Amino acid sequence: MPDTHFYRYDDYDRTLVGERVEQFRDQVRRRIAGELTEEQFKPLRLTNGLYLQLHAYMLRIAIPYGTLSSHQLRKLADISRKYDRGYGHFTTRQNLQLNWIKLEDAPDALAALAEVDMHAMQTSGNCIRNVTADHYAGAAIDEIEDPRIWCEIVRQWSTLHPEFSFLPRKFKIAITGSPNDRAAVRVHDIGLRLWANEAGEVGFEVIVGGGLGRTPMIGKTLREFLPRDELLAYLEATLRVYNRYGRRDNLYKARIKILVHEIGAEKMREEVEAEYAAIKDGALKLPAETIEAIARQFAPPPLPHRPAVVAEVEGLKLEDREFALWLKSNVAPHRMAGYRIVTASLKPAGAPPGDASAVQMEGVADIADAYSQGEIRVSHEQNLILPHVAVEELPAVWRALGRLGFAEANVGKITDIIACPGLDYCALANARSIPVAQRISNHFAELARQHDIGDLKIKISGCINACGHHHVGHIGILGVDKNGVELYQLSLGGDVDFGKTAIGAILGPAVTADKVVEAVDAMVHTYLDNRGDGERFVDTYRRIGAQPFKERVYAAV
Amino acid sequence: MAKNLSGDLTVASANRLVDGIVVFLDDAGQWTPRLERAAVARDKRAGEILLERARVEAFGVIDPFLVAVSEDDDGRIEPISLREKIRASGLTFDAIAAEAVRYA
Repeated sequence: MPDTHFYRYDDYDRTLVGERVEQFRDQVRRRIAGELTEEQFKPLRLTNGLYLQLHAYMLRIAIPYGTLSSHQLRKLADISRKYDRGYGHFTTRQNLQLNWIKLEDAPDALAALAEVDMHAMQTSGNCIRNVTADHYAGAAIDEIEDPRIWCEIVRQWSTLHPEFSFLPRKFKIAITGSPNDRAAVRVHDIGLRLWANEAGEVGFEVIVGGGLGRTPMIGKTLREFLPRDELLAYLEATLRVYNRYGRRDNLYKARIKILVHEIGAEKMREEVEAEYAAIKDGALKLPAETIEAIARQFAPPPLPHRPAVVAEVEGLKLEDREFALWLKSNVAPHRMAGYRIVTASLKPAGAPPGDASAVQMEGVADIADAYSQGEIRVSHEQNLILPHVAVEELPAVWRALGRLGFAEANVGKITDIIACPGLDYCALANARSIPVAQRISNHFAELARQHDIGDLKIKISGCINACGHHHVGHIGILGVDKNGVELYQLSLGGDVDFGKTAIGAILGPAVTADKVVEAVDAMVHTYLDNRGDGERFVDTYRRIGAQPFKERVYAAV
Repeated sequence: MAKNLSGDLTVASANRLVDGIVVFLDDAGQWTPRLERAAVARDKRAGEILLERARVEAFGVIDPFLVAVSEDDDGRIEPISLREKIRASGLTFDAIAAEAVRYA
């Protein structure tokens, strides 16, 4: 395994994952031999990330805090080619799903994952799921502290945690280390935001009870400032209260957001603080040397000084409009002058959002090796990030990504659509998501128009479980089934920006699949006709309200 | 083309254990990925019997169930619900190929 600038497994991790693979291999053997029934086997395969979808098994691979080395990405490509159909789907949980895995191959796929310090544990079931983070972590200009240090500490604490392996329902934690929240922390079961107080001490704001799904909720702040070394004790206290009082009698009321809503944030705080007071000075108080040892593994890569202004880049910007647009939308500031963060858009015109072929994954790994310290991040917006690209190498990276079809200058624009797999794959879905995303993407493919429209986030879910985050889309699209017909409910005004987090409001009656593009087009025209100086789509909506959008949409469809 | 959409016609379906692919029970009691070879139950009682048989033959498949189908004048059957149409026919878009560098 090459050197990386993030956590690598130690012997304990390797032994645990290796033993788990062999345990699952035996379970699969016994299932195929008929020694286990499906009822007995199903929870075993789910705890190893293996779902049964409409057409096949699906393996959901955990990508801890969305961080990958080039070596790991190449292995994912290799696994997808060897055991699947040669492509994968990057998800809103920063994971990778392989949609055509065979049960008999699953143990070998997991063994191959273990070779590169990866697994699929806790990507299903009522446990603490893969912890997500800001995809610019370790590179962001506005970062107070790298959140992945804390994600890794939470990962180690939560992996196979005996007390929290059978929670009332699944549990999702996200951590951001920046004031500009790119990890959607207010819509997670627990969201953690690192910030510095007036004394300059860094700690966590602890936000509890957010979530999307059937009952979308914005999380409540239980603790304004939690000292970092008390994180695990506070998490343990929160999970313990949830485990004790969370509803197990009703699947739809089992998430922590319902508990917080029902008993109120104040009561929840009292319960958590009481539990926390009892355990905070115990075994979960993190020793400074433990934190430092993990932090050392996330030490920034040694980035040599590089020029911040490069004539070739400036020249190409003037000569090539596509490059100029790409710089504007797909390139973000880096904490070091002379470097930038580049987003490889997995949303070329008409493509299934978040999908990448094995060749594309290998291509991104090669680009990461050549230009980004061998590091890649997965964003919850289903794109891949190259976190450390020198300014002078931006043209080369742009051209290389272009050869892969991943240089579309559309990040944050109307075709940078989040979409769940929907009814084409998913056993829970009511309607298709991907074909709807494709039609919208094709309709708005012209880059100049996208940039004229500006920042506009469309998020599509094929059912109320909201894997496509439709509740927090500027335009949200939810597929529903009405008497066997796919209909799409439209919502407006959702947002995950910190301080502006909002659940979108339903616009009106659902529209048929063939009218979704017209409806979105009508919304865009309403915005363009009404926007004020510098207003994004969502700003105009907030100012003028839903009515003008509603009138135009329902006149069009 | 006229179709029998009464909802009385059913076939038995499941996912194959070793690879998860969609299969249908044929007249010989074998599981086949080909819908056109599926045994068709033509009324409610026949459907119940078909499902019982599917459960007896369930070694090697997961959770058999009945799928409502329609039949045209040429005897071609097709699931009625979109979900089952997709299960029987596959994705409704072209997935990217393993060696693809661009989406076609």
